[in-house]
Amino acid sequence: MTTLFTSLRVSAFLAWKSIQRGSKGTLALTIMIIALIFVNLVFLPSIISGVVETFNTQSIDFDFGNLVIEPREGSQYISGVTSLQKTVERIPGITGTSPRIAAGATFFYKGHNAASTLYGITPDDERSVTKIADYMTAGEFLSNGDTDAIILGTTLAGTEGQEAGGLPSLQGVAVGDSVEVTYPNGETRTYRVKGIYQTQSISVDTAAFVTSREMSGVLGLRDQASMILVKTAVDGREEEYKTELLSYGIQEQIRTFREKAGGFVDQAIQSFNIINTISALVSLIIAIVVVFIVIFINTVNRRRQIGILKAIGIDQQIIINSYVLQVLFITAVGALAGMALNAGVTTYLTAYPLVFPGGPVYPVVEVSAILQSVASLFAVSVVAGYIPAWQIAREDILTAIRG
Amino acid sequence: MIVAENLTRIYTMGRVEVHALRGVSLEVAKGEFVGIMGASGSGKSTLLHILGLLDRPTSGRVTIDGTDVLGLTDHRRTLFRLNRLGYVFQDYALIGELTALENVYLTSLVRGAPKEEYLKKSAGILERVGLADRMDHRQSELSGGEQQRVAIARALVNNPSILLADEPCANLDSQTSRSILDLFARLNEDLGQTILMVSHEEWHKEYFCRVATLRDGLIGDMVECRRRKPHPGGEA
Ligand SMILES: Nc1ncnc2c1ncn2[C@@H]1O[C@H](COP(=O)(O)OP(=O)(O)OP(=O)(O)O)[C@@H](O)[C@H]1O
Ligand SMILES: [Mg+2]
Repeated sequence: MTTLFTSLRVSAFLAWKSIQRGSKGTLALTIMIIALIFVNLVFLPSIISGVVETFNTQSIDFDFGNLVIEPREGSQYISGVTSLQKTVERIPGITGTSPRIAAGATFFYKGHNAASTLYGITPDDERSVTKIADYMTAGEFLSNGDTDAIILGTTLAGTEGQEAGGLPSLQGVAVGDSVEVTYPNGETRTYRVKGIYQTQSISVDTAAFVTSREMSGVLGLRDQASMILVKTAVDGREEEYKTELLSYGIQEQIRTFREKAGGFVDQAIQSFNIINTISALVSLIIAIVVVFIVIFINTVNRRRQIGILKAIGIDQQIIINSYVLQVLFITAVGALAGMALNAGVTTYLTAYPLVFPGGPVYPVVEVSAILQSVASLFAVSVVAGYIPAWQIAREDILTAIRG
Repeated sequence: MIVAENLTRIYTMGRVEVHALRGVSLEVAKGEFVGIMGASGSGKSTLLHILGLLDRPTSGRVTIDGTDVLGLTDHRRTLFRLNRLGYVFQDYALIGELTALENVYLTSLVRGAPKEEYLKKSAGILERVGLADRMDHRQSELSGGEQQRVAIARALVNNPSILLADEPCANLDSQTSRSILDLFARLNEDLGQTILMVSHEEWHKEYFCRVATLRDGLIGDMVECRRRKPHPGGEA
């Protein structure tokens, strides 16, 4: 009696001989098509993940840190900033805090003016949370004692003679120049530009920074801030830290960087995912059709052979399984080739990243996306391979042998 | 024991009906070596296909060792062919993707024989049909007569209790033919194999116990030949 193992062994034997001695050209072509479909299935999700990743790092590194402490309901400022900072910094896992005063300001330079956000920061604290200081393209970052210095985002500083497409731009400020700033309370100050930075985050690159010592003086604030940025040792656990902070009796509002960013990215990701689903469906349909055609032609060409196999006493299930195994083999090699191809594309795009408004996007290939693509490819191929094999293996023996 | 009763086989091709068998009845005892002769188109292959469980008659009954083989499911019929029958096709019907040796041992593989055993046995039988140096050749690398001998080796490899051979010597010279027929006769005597063989050659009759001659889909006559039906362990 033929056991399951024996019949699988025969199927594998027939499948292997068929691959080994069948047309190499067709085999290579099929494997290549499967590989391309695989790349198509993995590529778009990797770009979407890349966008999310870029957005997250940009938000953390330049806009918000991991968490943002904001004034209590109904207040404009957080007060008792120094002691609150101390409390927060004592919590394990918190690696830095940076109080910021924020105000809408108007900037004037050589007949140009621009309205944007001006932040007051304590430079040493800011360094412990954001990376803006590492992204100076000209001049230097602020020092704690500065009172007449300002640093500008590259977009706000602008380029001579060029509009920034609706974004605030002073069209050509350089380090050493003087910029006039009007505060919301009507006070005006003149600052020397100490540095210009470029972070690729629009909201940061259109803003400017002075020290909070200076800004507190102008606005008449004492130990107050509009927000405190909080940096945590690891990313991705913002919700846990938020709960932790609240358990220390902090009365102020706490938001994660994601909550601060609002629904913008979520919406973009949703749209991306719709595009991705459509693209994946189309790829899988192509995969079904291709595998179906290949196996169909393969089985039709082997009608006589299938008839003979049945005539000498080989069960049709063994024959069908041998085709399914061939498909599995082709799909496995195709998926591997696809992984190699995708690694190539990923390497290239990591060296020469796509540039999005939020910053450079590096493809992020997630294991789950690979597993999902491999699984759907296999499912699709097995179905598309089984049907034609089953159709022909069912045929009458002598009809099949006559071909 | 093979019992065929009143077999008819009508091929319909559009409006034309071909009556390939018109009511053939035949009994073959276990261990008999029966020849089937007749003009081209008289229905020899059609009859052998039905007895070999490759085709079903339009009407009639076939029992082999008491089993109503027409009543079996396709799966059972496949197993029956695998375990009980050996079949040499008129057109050899080798698997083109396999070598001579692989063609021969394939069914042993299906039957779950150990590798050593089926390799030895398959190589042995190929040697006996004179193909010791052609084992790794594929169909396209073999002459017609060589392909025919591979087909014979494949049919014999599992010592089937019934061997059905459709003109197995059609492409062989008389010396090779004789060696094949000697092999059949030996198996017939030693293992008590029942053999039905289609043939065109008068001289083959010296190997047969009986000859059935088909004429237009009917058995025209049945003659006893020189060779007596062997009886295991004694006289007939
Ligand atoms: N598949 C088929 N469709 C239609 N007619 C067929 C088919 N197979 C055989 N026939 C016809 O049935 C008749 C018997 O054919 P069969 O093959 O049994 O003859 P045969 O005795 O084996 O002849 P040969 O000695 O030439 O091999 C022939 O007239 C043939 O044309
Ligand atoms: Mg014939």
